[in-house]
Amino acid sequence: MLSITLLTLRVGAVATLAILPFAIALAWALARGRLPARSLIRAFVALPMVLPPVAVGLALLWLLGRRGPLGPLWDGLGVDLVFTWWAAAIAAAVVGFPLLTRACEQAFADTDPRYEQVARTLGASRTSTFFRVTLPLARRGVLYGILLAFTRGLGEFGATTLVAGILPGRTETLALGIYSRVQLGDDAAALVLCGVSFAIGLAAMWAGERWLRREPS
Amino acid sequence: MTGPALDDALRTGSAMKLAVRLERGAFRLDVDLAWNERVAVIFGPSGSGKSTLLEAALGLHPSASCQVRLGGQWLEDPDRGVRVAIEDRRLGWVPQSPTLFPHLDVDANLRFGLARGEAEALDRAVEVLELGELLRRRVDALSGGEQQRVAIGRALASGPRALLLDEPLASLDLGLRARVLRYLLRVRDELDVPILAITHDPDEALLLAERVIVLDGGREVASGAPADVLWSRAVLPVSEALGLENVYEGQVTGGGESPPGFRSDAGLTLALPVEASRGERICVGVRAEDIVLAVDPPGRISARNVVPARIARCERTGADVFVHLVTDAGGEALVAKITATAADKLGLCADMALHAVIKAQSLRRIA
Repeated sequence: MLSITLLTLRVGAVATLAILPFAIALAWALARGRLPARSLIRAFVALPMVLPPVAVGLALLWLLGRRGPLGPLWDGLGVDLVFTWWAAAIAAAVVGFPLLTRACEQAFADTDPRYEQVARTLGASRTSTFFRVTLPLARRGVLYGILLAFTRGLGEFGATTLVAGILPGRTETLALGIYSRVQLGDDAAALVLCGVSFAIGLAAMWAGERWLRREPS
Repeated sequence: MTGPALDDALRTGSAMKLAVRLERGAFRLDVDLAWNERVAVIFGPSGSGKSTLLEAALGLHPSASCQVRLGGQWLEDPDRGVRVAIEDRRLGWVPQSPTLFPHLDVDANLRFGLARGEAEALDRAVEVLELGELLRRRVDALSGGEQQRVAIGRALASGPRALLLDEPLASLDLGLRARVLRYLLRVRDELDVPILAITHDPDEALLLAERVIVLDGGREVASGAPADVLWSRAVLPVSEALGLENVYEGQVTGGGESPPGFRSDAGLTLALPVEASRGERICVGVRAEDIVLAVDPPGRISARNVVPARIARCERTGADVFVHLVTDAGGEALVAKITATAADKLGLCADMALHAVIKAQSLRRIA
């Protein structure tokens, strides 16, 4: 049970950390940049949120598998992602990305550009302004997005079963573990895992809420 | 100033040239300004394009066609292919709302631009604006006036080549305005940074500026010495509507046994209606319509100030006459507004000696 919990946390953490810079960069470009076809990009980013998770899983299986269009690449690199915990992390990243990007974009959009302008006149470059002013001002929204993406990753099921399978000790996360125990009729064990999920989710959201409350806007 | 003198000043001094063309919907800003005074104020009603002009100078309006030159350096000129980045212009900007970084305390706000400025600039700003007490405070624990002072200090600490103030007092209530205005006067007097301020407050323009440029509807209407411009026939409808009055800078005299008085820097003395501490530097204002003109010295009268003066000129606008006076003591300019009927009855003419009667109660402390 401990290994399942640790694996789940690892999948969620790796997935969230991996998408964080990309989500922040894209959110920034959507909120402040002059991207063409912004609505189309937003719609595309939102797709994993609105598609059936199983469909996302199938698409990932196709992309990550050796028989898919990227097969030669995986062969060349000598990696086999399908049915590893990496695949589970990738699935969690894909479904978490829209949540994180949306939250960050909203957070950046809510930040008064006047602060950034003042920072520039005080000698800060664009990059420096982003890290010294924009990101600190948007931190609540960004943190909220991180929490959403992380907890969504912890609970990912539909896409994960297809690309990572349910391999005990290798790819079995809490969500998958609960499902497989219910299938086996071991309701007691399933309920224990359920309790663990509950505890982790509650702890993550509670810590986040506390931080958000403590911090003045 | 025009011609070679201005060209010279543009090359070397604190002179500024600011030409901006910008269209935004129906609004059109089209000005070409240049001046050599250290402290210039752009005056105009809201919607005249003042803030936009300031932002264009800072480089915040990429779509505007701008020529910006400060002292000897072009900051922006399409003809020369020059467009200095916002962060490299070294213009200390104080926007209309103070815009202090809420995630930093006062000290960190002041130090934000320090990489560019010098510790000395920060120390001077803290001293002149009396920010020492505030350094450890959170910015949301500051009053509006304190926030404005910190914002000015932050701009000064970044070692700017010029200070650009956008309506520095507009967001404050009357009491705080007087206090922040005193600090602005200290910045003007104790530091040598060139200042460009924009305002719709005639008091502020008269007190701060060495040159006033009037903007209306996106165009320059007038430019020159503050009192000349603001009391001129062309500008009067705007400046009067915005509260134009006579203003004097000076200090409090008397006190103790004798009632408090005011002595302007040029030497005009007036009785004050309020308690004020002796020696304190203050500014007072009195509205032109609150001044009574008497040809003969009034006898027993409740008004505490009877100021001998001489008429410089009279200007009639409709049913009103603005009588421009020069006081015998100190040679201060004083403008009284009376009805044309009264002016006719008194037979006012240039160089005539008069007594301006000013109730102490109509003197208002403005800084």
